[in-house]
Amino acid sequence: MSAHTEADVLVIGAGAGGAAMCKRLSDGGVKVVCLEQGPWMHQLQHAHFYDAWEMERRRGWNWEPNVRQLPEDYPITGNAAPQMMNGVGGSTLHYAGAWPRFKPVDFRKGTEHGLEGTIDWPISYEELERYYAINDAEIGVARLVGDPGNPVSPEGWGSVCRGHLVGHKMASGFDKLGWHWWPAANSVLTKPKDNRLACNDCGFCLGGCPRGSISSTDVTYWPSALKNGVDLRINARVEQIDAKNGLATGATYVDRLTGERHEVRARVVVVAANSIGTPRLLLLSAQKGHPDGLANSNGLVGAHLMFHSWAFEDYWFDEPLEGFKGPEPGVLYCQEFYDTDPSRGFVNGFSLQVGTALGPANSALGTNTGHRAPWGAGHRRFFNDHFARHALVYVQGEDLPVRTNRVTLDKNVKDTSGLPAAHVHYVLPENDRKLIEFGRARGREAAEAAGGLIDYASTGVCAVNGPGPGWHIMGTCRMGNTPEDSVTNKYNQTWDVPNLFIADASSLTTGAAVNPTSTLQAVAVRCAEYIKHRHADILAQKKTPSNATAPGF
Amino acid sequence: MSDKVDFTTPPPLGGWLPGIKFTDRQTRVLNAFADELIPGGDGFPAPSEVNVIGFVARYVAPKGQVAKWFPFLAEEPFKAWLDRLGDPFVKLTSKERVEEIKAIEESEVDLFGRLRDTLYYAYYSRPEVVRAININLEAGRDYRYSPQPFGYSDNMREWDKVLLSRVRGTYKRTNEVVGVDLKEIAG
Repeated sequence: MSAHTEADVLVIGAGAGGAAMCKRLSDGGVKVVCLEQGPWMHQLQHAHFYDAWEMERRRGWNWEPNVRQLPEDYPITGNAAPQMMNGVGGSTLHYAGAWPRFKPVDFRKGTEHGLEGTIDWPISYEELERYYAINDAEIGVARLVGDPGNPVSPEGWGSVCRGHLVGHKMASGFDKLGWHWWPAANSVLTKPKDNRLACNDCGFCLGGCPRGSISSTDVTYWPSALKNGVDLRINARVEQIDAKNGLATGATYVDRLTGERHEVRARVVVVAANSIGTPRLLLLSAQKGHPDGLANSNGLVGAHLMFHSWAFEDYWFDEPLEGFKGPEPGVLYCQEFYDTDPSRGFVNGFSLQVGTALGPANSALGTNTGHRAPWGAGHRRFFNDHFARHALVYVQGEDLPVRTNRVTLDKNVKDTSGLPAAHVHYVLPENDRKLIEFGRARGREAAEAAGGLIDYASTGVCAVNGPGPGWHIMGTCRMGNTPEDSVTNKYNQTWDVPNLFIADASSLTTGAAVNPTSTLQAVAVRCAEYIKHRHADILAQKKTPSNATAPGF
Repeated sequence: MSDKVDFTTPPPLGGWLPGIKFTDRQTRVLNAFADELIPGGDGFPAPSEVNVIGFVARYVAPKGQVAKWFPFLAEEPFKAWLDRLGDPFVKLTSKERVEEIKAIEESEVDLFGRLRDTLYYAYYSRPEVVRAININLEAGRDYRYSPQPFGYSDNMREWDKVLLSRVRGTYKRTNEVVGVDLKEIAG
């Protein structure tokens, strides 16, 4: 093993949480080393300029690591297919960029119903609000202020993304029904910022963004973090977080390209490897004093996995909607049915998020629901009736945190470094199935109200007839209220190891019914500020303080 | 998860250049197959007229490469499959070819699906087809060959201020959150 490196803080993972952590810590002069198992993604590695841009999504730009099989990926076994990227930027390299916030009620679901493993967050919306704002200002958000269905948010960096014909069509449907709707906020530049170009509405957001318009952390936080002196090591696959005498001491990693092992020693370790990678790494770090993995004395590392519950609903209309233009995943949203109404027969609620489609091949191949143009004599008519006359509604529901929905290790399958794969077990609770069925009917109602509906198709309730989308991976090392109900305290500090922090979506206590990245980054920013302000206190702690006795800001 | 998962090499973006070489017979078979799947007409060219084969050739894993990404077609077995269909397939009438393809669709479900999808991707990526979409479909008049470099900002509609002015909604404040009656849900 090479000589070790010393750092104030070691951050594992350069994605949404890790990048925010590195930048904010280094702003304050903290010496940071960051280990990332993937490489940098060059902008010319995106598929947007190629004739096969639609097909590349099923190859190297697939969301599932088991499908694209890049060298930096690791295998995931089990009954679901989590979607993620590994590299500088993490899954923000390949994400929607939809930028809603959780609502105040989302932080109090334990009080509201407490079903399955639901608990209250140890913090409130109000406590997180200023960190949402800090994060938004760092990355650049397109937003229209004034949504009456949410707390006031600050002006974005640029104007809201235009809704074009799809936006107008579905807004008309919600309007006719008297339901809430609002143009979606997106972490997309609608005017240039730093060296990033404004979005030109190319419509292929979910293939990443070669213009740097979508706020992936390789173009938001990392340029500043590197300028601040953060030591970012790419292709660095962590084998184990090291610990001694109840404290984390750093990590051992293998350089994927050379096979050499290195050690980084640090006074504080932050794990931000996403909700699959973080529990995997903690479980891989079983060692003396931590026989079941680090921070896992209560057995909750990997538990309470959430994906959101989903149905994708495709609607086709009798007029051009040109869905190949504009923000693909987040045009507008309806939150009329967001809050729990027990008379519906389930707790929690959902957003109806309106999206678009891609190009003609995607249309011919069934858009989002497998409603494929037939081959042969009927092909031309079907295609001509469907292409660019489409709107998508994602029924995005809050799924309950269930203890048995979890990430474990699969020692029978190994990554290219010989480390055990992650194994995922996820079953959608009955409550969440009912919720999505109800949401599907509301989506259909809105499409019919919009007028001119000519065809319709649906995935049905995802995760009932097959594994559901694992887009939003959350909750596997959640923050909570006591050492019995969670993995960390309210400052993301693991209950077992006081100088070990979790700063990614695995720390989210519940998942709400909106895209989670704005919230996970706000939580990471808050955690970074805490580590900066309370560095000396943290280093003096031999035991993680309770939420009541922690020194606070 | 497949036993064949292999994380050692990345896939080539854009396919393997310069693409495999089909024989004249293989070309005839593949063109005839594609022309039945996506018949030309109504202002749209036939696949055989727009070189869908050049696209497919880049995405068939050449000899020596593992076909581990979509469309999971390896050069030698795929060519052998085309050769088995051979000129008899080409010489069939259109109606007979449709019946033959229906039989393949039923007997070789996986292969047929991958080949159909690839041909759809190939056909709708051709500049001549994009031009046909622009000319013949009102919904597709602005559609461009690829998302970048131009995008579509030159022709996007703004939000409707009248609709926006009517939006209503509310949200539950933190201090308004109370327990719900779970008996109603259980019932």
